[in-house]
Amino acid sequence: MKDQIFKAYFDATQKVFNLMLNISEISAHPSEDFKCDDEVDIAIGITGDLQGKVIYRFPVATSLNIVNTMSGMQFDAVDAFVTSAVSEIANIISGNVLSALSENNMDCDILPPVQCSLDDDKEYGINTSCRIDTAIGEVCLEIRLNRAA
Amino acid sequence: MLWKDNYEIGVPQIDEQHKELFRRVESFLQVLRSQVSWEEKVQKVNETLEFMKGYVVEHFRDEEEYQKSVGYPGFEAHKQIHTGMVDYVLEFSKQYEQSNHDEQLIQQFGGKLLAWLINHVAAEDQRIANYARKKGDELK
Repeated sequence: MKDQIFKAYFDATQKVFNLMLNISEISAHPSEDFKCDDEVDIAIGITGDLQGKVIYRFPVATSLNIVNTMSGMQFDAVDAFVTSAVSEIANIISGNVLSALSENNMDCDILPPVQCSLDDDKEYGINTSCRIDTAIGEVCLEIRLNRAA
Repeated sequence: MLWKDNYEIGVPQIDEQHKELFRRVESFLQVLRSQVSWEEKVQKVNETLEFMKGYVVEHFRDEEEYQKSVGYPGFEAHKQIHTGMVDYVLEFSKQYEQSNHDEQLIQQFGGKLLAWLINHVAAEDQRIANYARKKGDELK
């Protein structure tokens, strides 16, 4: 189950980076190697057969590269525009994941993206994370989900 | 440039509308991100928002007509995505008016619009093109 869900997120990230940013190669690595002091953390809540959230950790440099690539303009600092754009990317990736989960008979929905902290006291049956490397920087995914009772 | 030729779906009317939409959004972003004061930007920003409210509805209607004409099976789901975006633009527009043209709000709108538009045209609309191409090949 954990591998199946991770694969759905990895594949969706690859698809979205390819279509929207023209980046075809991405690779997964252990999250222990993800070192970042300054990042934009976006949570997408999940409801339905799976419940919890996935946090997309975009380092500032990655966030700026994403927006620079999409817009063809130069963004030098994270502001409301950049945060909103990367939140929408997280939303689009999660939307793609829903289709993959649905094909595996898991009926889920997502909540609008929100900026969040990483702190969380809840217990999750599926609690995994990974660092994804791309040509425009790293992204870390924190997957925190429970199966619905 | 925001527009990329690989976004074309091969239907001249729709492709022209997409290009116009991208031109307008690009010009909007250039004003939004320019270094001039908010007072100088606000008129152009408001004009673009008004344009978007009208043009997006018109474009979505034409695109949906095309989907129906080719019997696109994803028509209902695609229409729902259009409706969701129109509702978002109208709701945002209301909030923006009520906030007396708050710059932070419009910056948020700009970021979402950029990512949404690229994904919609590069991913969702390409599915229509792929379907139409496949159908055309089958009829040959």
